[in-house]
Amino acid sequence: MFLNELLLPVLMVTFMLTVGAYVVAVLDRLIAGAFGAPQAGSVWLAPMARGAWLMTQHANATEAPDWQAWRLAPALYLALAAIGLAVVPWSESLVATDLVTSVVLWGSVEALATVVIFLHGWSANALLPLIGGYRYVALGLSYILISMFVLIGVALPAESLQFTQVVASQEALWNVLRQPLGLPLFLIVGLGMTFWGPLNLADSADLAGGTASEISGPPRLVWDVARAAMLVAFSGVAASAFLGGWLGPWLPGPLWMAIKMLAVLLVLLLLGRLLPRIAPERCVTLMWVVLLPLSFLDLVWAGIGALL
Amino acid sequence: MNHGIGVDIAFLLLATLAVVTGWRVFRTDSMVRASFFLLVSFIAVGVIMILLAAEYLGVAMFFMMAVEMTVMALFMVMFMMNPAGLNPMNMVHQERIAIGAGIVGFLVLGAMALFAVFPDQPVSASLDPVKSLGNEMLGDSMLIFESAGLVLLTTMIGVVVLSCHRGRYGAAAEGSLPPGLEPGGDPAGKPEEDEEEEGGGHHHHHHHH
Repeated sequence: MFLNELLLPVLMVTFMLTVGAYVVAVLDRLIAGAFGAPQAGSVWLAPMARGAWLMTQHANATEAPDWQAWRLAPALYLALAAIGLAVVPWSESLVATDLVTSVVLWGSVEALATVVIFLHGWSANALLPLIGGYRYVALGLSYILISMFVLIGVALPAESLQFTQVVASQEALWNVLRQPLGLPLFLIVGLGMTFWGPLNLADSADLAGGTASEISGPPRLVWDVARAAMLVAFSGVAASAFLGGWLGPWLPGPLWMAIKMLAVLLVLLLLGRLLPRIAPERCVTLMWVVLLPLSFLDLVWAGIGALL
Repeated sequence: MNHGIGVDIAFLLLATLAVVTGWRVFRTDSMVRASFFLLVSFIAVGVIMILLAAEYLGVAMFFMMAVEMTVMALFMVMFMMNPAGLNPMNMVHQERIAIGAGIVGFLVLGAMALFAVFPDQPVSASLDPVKSLGNEMLGDSMLIFESAGLVLLTTMIGVVVLSCHRGRYGAAAEGSLPPGLEPGGDPAGKPEEDEEEEGGGHHHHHHHH
């Protein structure tokens, strides 16, 4: 019981965290290379070299930070990514935690990510991280509602709040086709949660790195790994909620899941490289005026579909 | 009661965490820290609820409290004289009433836990707590829950509208300025062309001639 219910799930999530973060780092470098960014050294070794370099660096200190929150925030963000990965089903039975309310648990991961990222910026007791933290709260409060409506939309046809049931409900038709607005809206949520590419308001270059501008060394490594891992966790959730998870012909379920997660990751990383960063004020307006009503529409569409 | 020792250990650890972080809420000097200590306390209670098989309510506690505490911290920083929430602030007020209420509350709840006779009605294993909660909330009681939700939403919007037009330093419509460092002085933090900080004070003395 100890082995099956505790040790194996923990090992599984740790494995996915490590491999996933590495895959994100490599893919992002490959995409950057394809767009013509100069590459120094091997794409496959560069993430590890950077990780090893960060491990040996000194951890920066600011004047009178909130040490507990500042050091804990990167670790907590990584823990949230681990919770996200734990609810992603790889097949009908291969899932680290098959909680009956796993969709809601993922919703709380999104909400708690806002708290953790805000704390990361706030606790440094420095100007640029603080601005990054507040910007992130504005973004986080905007995307959470969109995410909730989209996720309720996928829970409706499944008549369940469990990701395994949500996947099983897509046997006949994947949610990406059944609810065409769902996946595009959810991808924006993913970019927001990891403040990636166009939605990088928290750690953006105009804030000299924002919430991460004052951290270096091992905390920086944890922060970077956590962001990448969160992107992987999001891809897993998006693949389960919209792309039919483990469902697919010929190949075994977990392999289909890996392929779909990679596809979502590729789209997100491409969007991250292709789209310019949105100004915070415009971003909030876009979220509340355009995307939130669209998510209402998605929910109404899903509701009508469930009634018919 | 057929639960393992792990559940007992988890309950004790979580209960301790909930109480200790709840106590820290009042011992810290920052509104942001107080909000997030409260969040940790609520999360510990949420996990205890999951241990009690309230799988939806426990998890709902996480996301509701996460958003709620973020919004609370943000609004406190926005509406109070504490830019960024980093300045020290006392979290304890009306101590005598609070101590009295705390002792009475503890005694009442403790007495209920010790002396009340709880019904022993094990539910069948086939009962789905999430489904039955949904039936309860959106079945017969739907009107109550929906109207309560609507009233709360209206109240929130009303409170923000009523309190927003008066900014931290006066009515927003009149162009609010921070008060002077001394009565009748120039707005603080807005020096004149002089680079010296005494600029405002100098002007003030000049006025008295």
